[in-house]
Amino acid sequence: MSSKSQAAQAGQALWAKMPKANAELFALTYGSLVTELVRDYEDPIEVNAQLDRIGYSIGVRCVDEFLSKADVAGMGLTTQCQNLRDTAEVVAKMGFKMFLGIQAEVGAFSQDQRCFSIYLQDNPLSTFVELPEDDPSGGEDLRRLKYSNLYCGVIRGALEQVNLKVDCNIVRDTLKGDELNEIRVELKEVLADGAGDDYKEE
Amino acid sequence: MQHYVNRGGSSSEGSAVSLSAFAYVYSELVQYHQGRAASISELERRLESAGYGVGLKVLELVAYRTKETKRETRLMSILHFVSSSVWKALFGKSADSLERSIDHADEFMIVDYEPITSTFVSVPPDLGQLSADAYVSGIIAGVLDGAGFSARVTAHSVNVEEGEYAKPQGGNVVTGLPARKDKAVFLVKFSQEVLARDAALER
Repeated sequence: MSSKSQAAQAGQALWAKMPKANAELFALTYGSLVTELVRDYEDPIEVNAQLDRIGYSIGVRCVDEFLSKADVAGMGLTTQCQNLRDTAEVVAKMGFKMFLGIQAEVGAFSQDQRCFSIYLQDNPLSTFVELPEDDPSGGEDLRRLKYSNLYCGVIRGALEQVNLKVDCNIVRDTLKGDELNEIRVELKEVLADGAGDDYKEE
Repeated sequence: MQHYVNRGGSSSEGSAVSLSAFAYVYSELVQYHQGRAASISELERRLESAGYGVGLKVLELVAYRTKETKRETRLMSILHFVSSSVWKALFGKSADSLERSIDHADEFMIVDYEPITSTFVSVPPDLGQLSADAYVSGIIAGVLDGAGFSARVTAHSVNVEEGEYAKPQGGNVVTGLPARKDKAVFLVKFSQEVLARDAALER
């Protein structure tokens, strides 16, 4: 697999070719969606689950776009990711870069090489956003909201399409005062290829 | 949640994401509202409502950044503000044209030949006249209302006439898709008070 800087270079090339949209319109549109969810579901934990579900739906679609464009650029990804480490680099340096134009880093690989973290300094989803202060009277504590939970769903959905079943969680969030955003990805299972039992020949 | 214009650190002004990223998120917004709307017009109203809040914020942002020290008080000025400054801020280009209706003194049209809210959208036959650009009408309405020019704004898909628009050879150079057969026309119908006020300012 290409070295880290190759993935970064490939990511940069992919980003350059992508038609662009205004990042603030993007952030405000996402904000509109989150606001609507908070209004409809009220409980921040439920909203987090909805954001994950919506992200999953996006992930399943965007991975096709990613693989077709990355392949076209001559990178032959399907033969190159030998292990989870490579996959992590591709997701962070090429995936995030291509769609969002941001440089994401990977790190904190676990001993068994089944977990890793993706770090985002800038977060295009949360431009202009601040979470309210803790509400002493209780109420719906919006600080339990994982505003950028969409990413977790996207990663989960995208990786599932390439047969990697993962769990994703936001563990650090700049909206909550952390200095960067950290998404923890844990490999649960490598799925077998195939359409499933229903389609097996008799 | 609150939205703040000026956080410390790097400005987001002028920064970009991929058109795809916007399209995916917008698509999910539409699907979310579609799941909760009982009719086409309700869906359009929901999208307009989603855009309205964005419009209020966009007005603040763009007005702040163009460093206009005076509020627009004239109808034509606010329309120019929307079709050029606001359009440039959101879509990277001015609107393709700004027209006034021949039949109705209170109606104006803002035209965009390649609106990004419907670039990747195909409306199924059972959704008839739905315009996926209803979100943008909401944004326009929010901007106008916020500036003191209340108006009803609706989005319409109108066929492009032969030779009306100099289409790039081979279709849309940005997305690589074939050239669209329809353009988005945002119909802006100002309220009576706004027209009366503007007429009074004329004297």
